[in-house]
Amino acid sequence: MTRTTRTTPARGRARRLVPAAALALALGAGLAACGDEEPTGSADTASAATEQAGSVTIGDPWVRATVGAEDTSMSAAFMTLDNDGDEDVTLVGASTEVAGMVEIHEMSMVDGAMAMQAVSDGLVVEAGRGKVLEPGGYHVMLMDLQGELAPGDEVELTLEFSDGSEQGLTAPVKEFTEEEGHYHEPGTGEHDH
Amino acid sequence: MSPAPRVSRRRLLGYVGSTGVGAAAGAGAVLAVGAEDAAPASTAPAPAVPGRTIEPWGAHQPGVAAPQAAVSELVALDLLPGVDRDALGRLMRLWTGDVEALAAGRGAPGDPAPWLSQPASDLTITVGVGPGACRPGLFGAGPPGFGDVPPMRHDRLQQRWSGGDLVVLVAGRDGTTVAHAVRRLVADAAPFARARWRQVGSWNPTDPSGRPQTGRNLFGQVDGSGNPQPGTPLFDATVWVDEGRWAGGSSLVVRRIRMDLDTWDELTRDEQERSVGRALADGAPLTGGPELADLDLAARSQGRLVVPADAHARRAHPSLNGGRRMFRKGANYTREVETEQGVEVESGLVFLAFQADLADQFVPVQQALDESDQLNEWTTAIGSASFAVLPGFEQGSWLGEQLLA
Repeated sequence: MTRTTRTTPARGRARRLVPAAALALALGAGLAACGDEEPTGSADTASAATEQAGSVTIGDPWVRATVGAEDTSMSAAFMTLDNDGDEDVTLVGASTEVAGMVEIHEMSMVDGAMAMQAVSDGLVVEAGRGKVLEPGGYHVMLMDLQGELAPGDEVELTLEFSDGSEQGLTAPVKEFTEEEGHYHEPGTGEHDH
Repeated sequence: MSPAPRVSRRRLLGYVGSTGVGAAAGAGAVLAVGAEDAAPASTAPAPAVPGRTIEPWGAHQPGVAAPQAAVSELVALDLLPGVDRDALGRLMRLWTGDVEALAAGRGAPGDPAPWLSQPASDLTITVGVGPGACRPGLFGAGPPGFGDVPPMRHDRLQQRWSGGDLVVLVAGRDGTTVAHAVRRLVADAAPFARARWRQVGSWNPTDPSGRPQTGRNLFGQVDGSGNPQPGTPLFDATVWVDEGRWAGGSSLVVRRIRMDLDTWDELTRDEQERSVGRALADGAPLTGGPELADLDLAARSQGRLVVPADAHARRAHPSLNGGRRMFRKGANYTREVETEQGVEVESGLVFLAFQADLADQFVPVQQALDESDQLNEWTTAIGSASFAVLPGFEQGSWLGEQLLA
């Protein structure tokens, strides 16, 4: 189910990393299970103003092409998520016609090596802050792909938040020229507004 | 089939400033970063932020009216066989995402070298469409008057600098940033189009104190004094298509003009000035006044015209061309060319002319200059291309949406 990719840690870049303690917490939860969890947020979706999807701004989306890749059954979508609202939001899943299974994953250090696993409790974007989904960090894992993803294609993706609200986006498919499986950045950036 | 609406980017700039990429916070931040490992920085006054971050959105693509940038690079592309209207839509949405990220100083989505982008680079990216792509099944008809520039008697055009189905004009303060943006845009377009030609040049748009100036070509002439000023009704009427599918767009003529500096240098200063009708020192009309004063075309001295009958500035003057004018920009180039005699240096100007109606504005003025212009003796067009400049796009929309959706 969950592919674990190991690679040697590479140099980071000048971007503030998630504090080590927070990362460890996320890891502990993440190793337990992959996907399938029910939304855990408030079920009160009657008021559209409080919907999580309405507070989130998505930027710079793209999907990695599978053409030429060793394993063409899976890929990943990357983007930035900005929470402009007053409440934390939690990205719990996503769906797309091009993939049979979609999960929110992260790459992180486990026992000194990079490993990938599902973020089982969802990806929390705190109020007024943002998260970067990028190679080597958080990403939307696309598994059981229904066909090849070629550069120049577009993927329609629906993000699902813990209150049941959804936001759709269109992401271009781009060639990713770095060696497959080699994620060049340890950790995932998190930032203030 | 239309794609899901693009998401709002309302907080984009705030987001950018927070990533730590570049010193968007301003001079204080720049100094703080430098102080740790560069001792002189701690005593030097904080440098001013060197450039601007120019938002990519609006009724017009901002690169047209933006001040001349230090570096301009153009790449023309040809569409690959089989690219249709749907594919063009995907390319334009793809490029829109790249333009938004690069303009803000971020790497393009999926950029393997995002560090080469930085804010405050005066970066603008302008996209245009060649005559071959302005047809049914692609972008549809171009704006009124748009098409190929007809041949001119003095042209010596080379295919390698001419034509193209698409153009991207990237301008900015820094050649490295500009080159990186061009590279990403070309790489991302690979499924749809292949690069045809690429031209790069430089300009000095500020005086030593940092104030904007018109700038000079390699003849030493102040070049562009007669331009309509952005933000004025005259500029708007000159440059923008005002109605129809292309409203908010424009047209762009790119001419690669080789300049014979060796024979130009043989002229006396008086001959050089009379060939144009302006003083070399400050670009002022030979008939007096400051640089931006209008020429007095009737003025005579000792019986002869101060601005000669075949001076460039007279021949191009709107009053002698039915009021027709263009908005001109330029980029000086120097290139080594291998010849049988060895390596020679070719110098010239990548000349850019923006106008609402190519056939009614650019062509008649260019024909008048082709007929008579002293500068024809030292200048030769060796490349020519025309492009319909896409209208601007708002946040949540995309380049060319009104033409392709």
